[in-house]
Amino acid sequence: MSDVNIVERGRTLVVNPLITCQPLGAMFATLGIHRGLPLVHGSQGCNTFVRYAFNRHFREPAEIAVTSLHEDAAVFGGRSNLINGIKNLSKRFRPDLIGVVTTCSSEIIGDDVEGFMKVAHKELAEEIGEEKANKTKLVHISTPSFVEHHFRGYGNAVKAFVNTLTEEPTESNDKLNIIPGMVNPGDIREIKHILGLMGTEAIVLSDTSDPFDSPLRPSTTESMPFYPKGGTRVEEIADSSNSLGTISLPFYGDDAANSLEKKYDVPAKIGPMPIGVQNTDEFVRNVTKLTGLEASEELLDERGLLIDSMADLCSRYLFGRKVAIYGDPALVMGMARFVCEIGMIPSFVCTGVENPEFVEEMKKVGKESEGPVEVMPGSDLRALEVRLEEEPVDLVIGNSEGRLITRDLDIPLVRVGFPVYDRAGYHRVPIVGYNGSVNLIDRITNIVMEKYYDEQHWKLQQ
Amino acid sequence: MKNSSKKFNGSESLKSTAKEPLKELKSSESPQNDDLIITEVPDSIIKTLESRIDHMCVKKDEGDERGPSCNMASVPGAVTQRSCVYGGARVVLMPITDAIHLVHGPIGCASCTWDIRGSRSSGEELYKKGFSTNLQEKDIVFGGEKKLFDTIIELNGIYNPAAIFVYSTCVVGLIGDDLKSVAREAEEITKCRIIPVQSEGFRSFNKSLGHQLACDAMLDHLIGTGELEKPEKLGLGQKSLASTQEKGPTLNIVGEFNVAGDLWAIQPLIEKMGITVQSAITGDSCVEEIANAHRADLNIVQCQKSSNYLARQMEEKYGIPHLKVNFFGIEDTGKSLLSIADFFQDQYPEIREIAEKIIETEIKKVRSEISHYKTRLTGKRVAVYVGGNKAWSLISAFEELGMKVIMTGTQNGLPEDYHRIMETVSEGTLVVDDANSMELAKLLKKYHPDLIVSGAKEKYMAHKLGIPFCDFNHDRISSFASFNGFINFAKEVDRAVSSPVWKLTSKYYQGIV
Repeated sequence: MSDVNIVERGRTLVVNPLITCQPLGAMFATLGIHRGLPLVHGSQGCNTFVRYAFNRHFREPAEIAVTSLHEDAAVFGGRSNLINGIKNLSKRFRPDLIGVVTTCSSEIIGDDVEGFMKVAHKELAEEIGEEKANKTKLVHISTPSFVEHHFRGYGNAVKAFVNTLTEEPTESNDKLNIIPGMVNPGDIREIKHILGLMGTEAIVLSDTSDPFDSPLRPSTTESMPFYPKGGTRVEEIADSSNSLGTISLPFYGDDAANSLEKKYDVPAKIGPMPIGVQNTDEFVRNVTKLTGLEASEELLDERGLLIDSMADLCSRYLFGRKVAIYGDPALVMGMARFVCEIGMIPSFVCTGVENPEFVEEMKKVGKESEGPVEVMPGSDLRALEVRLEEEPVDLVIGNSEGRLITRDLDIPLVRVGFPVYDRAGYHRVPIVGYNGSVNLIDRITNIVMEKYYDEQHWKLQQ
Repeated sequence: MKNSSKKFNGSESLKSTAKEPLKELKSSESPQNDDLIITEVPDSIIKTLESRIDHMCVKKDEGDERGPSCNMASVPGAVTQRSCVYGGARVVLMPITDAIHLVHGPIGCASCTWDIRGSRSSGEELYKKGFSTNLQEKDIVFGGEKKLFDTIIELNGIYNPAAIFVYSTCVVGLIGDDLKSVAREAEEITKCRIIPVQSEGFRSFNKSLGHQLACDAMLDHLIGTGELEKPEKLGLGQKSLASTQEKGPTLNIVGEFNVAGDLWAIQPLIEKMGITVQSAITGDSCVEEIANAHRADLNIVQCQKSSNYLARQMEEKYGIPHLKVNFFGIEDTGKSLLSIADFFQDQYPEIREIAEKIIETEIKKVRSEISHYKTRLTGKRVAVYVGGNKAWSLISAFEELGMKVIMTGTQNGLPEDYHRIMETVSEGTLVVDDANSMELAKLLKKYHPDLIVSGAKEKYMAHKLGIPFCDFNHDRISSFASFNGFINFAKEVDRAVSSPVWKLTSKYYQGIV
């Protein structure tokens, strides 16, 4: 049991932000739909810079369209831009789904997005026929940039998919709905793997794994456009009301899960992000509760492998070391608990998001920690930097944005989360589940070894 | 924008006159050099929106200088490769190393753009941080001026910067915050230069307006305000000329952003000629240097896309003449040095000789170093899709390597840019304006060039099509400028084209054979 101090940012200014605005999360979620395209109703920078961000992290293309709002739209409204945008995009790409993502400007202008979408659909039906027009589902995702953060944008998108596309339940599909959060392709694949070992299947809302990690196999048949394989199919979303339950790994996927529960009696479980033994156990227990399926032998072996690696590494290299963790609040919540499991002290836990779930979880983590925990909600990297200057730690865990800070402070950085653009392959390697936690402990230990043990060149340092 | 809206805001029917199925080239059978001359107009090749057809053209013969339609709003619903006005302003000013770049808007405008330009610094790193006023719903309702003011005061207290650039974003334009008056008020209190940049993202479809607004911000608030008697930044090179005169010749390198250290390849050459570089605008610069830029004898303009405007305005305001230069490619680097020498020749007669000597030695060195690459690259075909002046300046650079540009284009080209492009390209080159991702993919698939030169957004799309990629944008990590840069360029191009992986990506290697 250790002290938990909650620290406010204490200034108006944000320096080196840990969050971005809602539309990014909505674009991310939409790209996880099979043949799904985000159409950003805003300025050209709103999609361009997000595309850059995805390109850099995943090393994959990211097709995001924009309605190209300009000055006249700011004065007269974005009606023609949105209607024509939907029509042009539908005709050219023949997508299964267009996620109409609003921005600060379109929200302030006060466009009747729903109304315009109806007009666009009607006109499209007249031009290309009802049947073809119906093939492209239009989903309105309201993501005002000046409210909350990109994680909420992700949650809003998943909620919009579910509310727009889910049909009345018919009979159980024996599947589980999983809202994975803004995690990597490797993480989603790991979750599917666990469910596979337990004998069930997931409807992932939304499944960004294959779209953001796709093979280079130039098509011999398809001329255009090149949709990546995979992604959640529209029919699967429609079918999600027939699932045995919904598990949202991050707390910010709660709206969609709760909406399915309220409307169609699909029971919802929110959290935790399955990182480490206890959190993954809880995830498995939730699966058992919802499906009646037990953890298989293989899964228990995987759990055992994790505990084995913890036993091998923890006391020698990791125990008692102080860590600072920052980034996605759901990931930070999971990792803070995990570092306690391996005997490290989460001295600083920092996120750009201000929300009670984070603080509550950290109070719990404090009970498991060997040393005091400083909780920094609604914070930024500058605040963390200042604290680390005053009270250095042994290790920092977070995304690539902290690389200059950790370089200046000479503290090693274990890269985790989004974005990681200065290392290869991190989007493929899971950090969730038992297997993911093994990867995480390996990653942490190797960096600790490099920094604190390599100089001794011990052969006996097994 | 007005005349464009009638035609380009409309939703359109697809047009394709292609009767026969597309014939694709196997990468292993790419035609060499002159085997492929594009003669058809693109609308018979790829299916695109009707209004887009005029944005593509093929150079028919030597005298053909009629470029594609350009400088118009993008079709809504396209995956345009363009950016916003704020983005345009940000890239021009971002390299000023000791300034704070404060984005007044919702968090995203700062989050997605901090430290995304590979502009290097020899000292300060303040410009690499991301600063935002993080506008919230209540600020949208009640206005964000107070928050902006408080933020500036806080910033000044924490960092004591040389200047604070304050960028306005879409939201600020819509809620009507008066950036200028807040900046003025804050400047009085802080005594720090607070420079408003009126860069609301939606102000134009062309981010070039952002470039211009950034230039305006420097012209109105920075250039000419310096109090130095003499340029502080003295060159590392010989000062022989400087010592004969009380003050040697000085110049500003305008429109050079030191991406991957380009400036550091250009500056020594100029200094070898005995010229002092007063300031680079804005690569590896500090505020004080730019504040004294008006003291230079000459402006040389590297990125003409973003910075001709600045040079013209400085000519008008301070009587500083300007020269357009291009330090990409051997020939063009040489020509640029000679034109600078010619400019100063009346005052410093020996300068021409020095320049010629530098060029002779350097060219000899570079030619011998690149000969290895040239052998490997000769005959390869290139597609270029970049911003600004690179669309034409790369063409002769590729010729130097024996490569042929079969397709070129820009996101934001103006009629004068395309005029220049049409002059430079050879017959049978396809020229595309504002190509969206689908058109690019289709063209790449159709022509299957041996290389595409572009930015990060196109990289992974090209790779998925099995086409090698060379970065010539913000993400570039090796310097391509001047003579030494050209060796790097040859090396990078060779690395991309000759990578063994491309033998595995041909569509005839779909399975295990």
